[in-house]
Amino acid sequence: MEVSLASLVQPASSLMVVGLNHHTTPVELREQLAFSDGALDASLPRLVDTETIREGAILSTCNRVEVVAHTPALEAANEKICAFLAEEQRVALPHFAPYLYTHIDQEAVSHLFRVASSLDSLVVGEPQILGQVKDAYNVSSALGTLGTVLHRCFHKSFSVAKRVRTETSIAAKAVSVSSAAVDLACTIFDRLEDKTAMVIGVGEMGEQAVRHLRGRGIGTIMVTNRTFRRAVELARTCNGTVVPFDQLDKHLHLTDVVIGSASSPHYILHSGMVEEALEERKRSPMFLIDLGVPRNFDPRLNNLDNVFLYDIDDLEQVVEDNRGERQVEAVKAEAIVAEEVEKFWRWFVNQEVTPTIVALREQAEMIRSREVEKTLAGLVELSPQAKESIEALTRSLTNKLLHPPLAYLKRRHHNSAKREAEYTQEIASPHVIRQIFGLDAHEE
Amino acid sequence: MEVWLLTLTLLLYLLSTASFIVGLFSVRPVVRTVAPSCLLAACVCHASAITVRSLTVGYFAVTDVYEALSFLACLTAAMGLLVQWRLPVSILGAIVSPIGFILTLGVYVFYTQARALPPTLQSAWLPIHVTAAYLGYAVFVVAFSASLVYLVQEKQLKQKKASSFLRRLPSLETLDHLNYRSLAWGFLLLTLGLLSGAVWAGYAWEHFWIWEPRLILSVLTWVFYALLLHYRSAGWRGRRAATLTIACFAALVVSFVGVQFFPGRHGGQFG
Repeated sequence: MEVSLASLVQPASSLMVVGLNHHTTPVELREQLAFSDGALDASLPRLVDTETIREGAILSTCNRVEVVAHTPALEAANEKICAFLAEEQRVALPHFAPYLYTHIDQEAVSHLFRVASSLDSLVVGEPQILGQVKDAYNVSSALGTLGTVLHRCFHKSFSVAKRVRTETSIAAKAVSVSSAAVDLACTIFDRLEDKTAMVIGVGEMGEQAVRHLRGRGIGTIMVTNRTFRRAVELARTCNGTVVPFDQLDKHLHLTDVVIGSASSPHYILHSGMVEEALEERKRSPMFLIDLGVPRNFDPRLNNLDNVFLYDIDDLEQVVEDNRGERQVEAVKAEAIVAEEVEKFWRWFVNQEVTPTIVALREQAEMIRSREVEKTLAGLVELSPQAKESIEALTRSLTNKLLHPPLAYLKRRHHNSAKREAEYTQEIASPHVIRQIFGLDAHEE
Repeated sequence: MEVWLLTLTLLLYLLSTASFIVGLFSVRPVVRTVAPSCLLAACVCHASAITVRSLTVGYFAVTDVYEALSFLACLTAAMGLLVQWRLPVSILGAIVSPIGFILTLGVYVFYTQARALPPTLQSAWLPIHVTAAYLGYAVFVVAFSASLVYLVQEKQLKQKKASSFLRRLPSLETLDHLNYRSLAWGFLLLTLGLLSGAVWAGYAWEHFWIWEPRLILSVLTWVFYALLLHYRSAGWRGRRAATLTIACFAALVVSFVGVQFFPGRHGGQFG
């Protein structure tokens, strides 16, 4: 009975996330506040103590610096974290205070889950963040700054991220023009390992596309450019071979993917050239990616059989469509997060509140029995019946006295489900109740 | 027993069709294992039905319309399953499952009671001839399916509609490759079917060849596929090859159905 009541009320301690991220904070400031790899080992133990911050972890990436804490005293913990950041990173508090956000309890859990699932990332769905969260967990775990609550919270965040990844396709959508192009290449070609790409021109977009192709394991890369020297530079960075610009047409039949990123007033590829190349390569499909503005490839090339031409506008459109689909997937992902936050919170409240209620009852019983004992010691002549009556009277007194606070907690639960905001404004939190009844003092 | 098994088969084909279609739109990995399992169950059930029939009649049950349709449906489904087990083309299941379902519905329409084997068909060549030819047909269904998906995928790419549906279809290269390989295998099996038929005819009729609509249509289809395969080897691929594969398959279906209207000496009711 008490356990189920306990699960309905607020715990005596809180979870919080204090930090700043790419949404609000300029990169210069994030750089100053970020912890370098080894720095956490020295800093983190200074954050955690028994009074204000029982458990703590720091997630520091190029996009965010966040402190996750489990604390019995919110206000003090918040101050301590701010002071900690200022001190450790030697940045004056007023400099970064306006950018800080604080998430408390369910919001904090939700935030951590969303971050791990890459819902809060600059590029939503990017996979690196989960690894970074795991690193943050491992570091603080090794330093011993985690307890039961944060251990579980982090582990949950990993499994939430996994659910989001497998049950939604949020991570499967390309969000940049160059990655969209590579995605398309994969719908044309079975695999890229045995394919050859040629990049014409040394524009930045082309370079990005080449890097993506390399990342997906394309076999060979050829680079050609009007200025030979710059082609050599790009070829070196992407581990490709250089083709002299005037021999472009002689190499065209060897290439499966052609990327145009040259600045040229005329079309570089025409139907005639491509037609010849196709003939020579037995009509194996060719994927032409035109990233140049003005365009490098004749748009009519798309009409050729087995030739697929995408220019920058087409790719932008693909990215745009992906964003639209991503929105739909994001809704699904948020639902998963909400569900898991609810589950975690039930567990947290349960393990936190049960002791409060037990302590309250135990304390009342202790006072009652001690006082009854004292009183009865001076009244030796009393009949057993009268003694029994006194026992009953005191029991009834303590029960009646305890009833309002317990009923109050119960009522607060019912309100909390519907009116979270009002709830936080009420004065008497369970924490206050603990203080009023001196429960913590007694425990010591 | 046999009809009971067929009904179960029909239901399983339906279930398999539904789960493959759900699989096209869902990203949940569980769907991707459920659908092939349904198809596998349907195949096993179907094969059991054919086995029961064969045991009842005492010969390889492929001699009338009902038996032939049933055998063809089972081979087609099995072939689809085999290919999608080896290649990342789960879309194939979404095509062969409904084909299996429709053919099995036809099986109900043409259902016949078990009969004694006509003397003309009492030969060891019967299973060889029929199995080779029908396996060929089943492989041509795969070639047809691959071409159909190729055309859809190609059209989407050309029109620059990069929907998420597009990304769940196999790559063009995979489909084109599958088209080529299944054409080659199908042609080989069809040739074996025709040759074994000719040899059998040589024994039974004392002529390797007789001028009869069924045989003429079959050989014409064979010629179409031979030409297609020839041009494919010469470098035709992609959309053109896919379109022609579909045309050839249409010819195959026409000859398959059309021959039913011509009486002749050719033994079975089909092919």
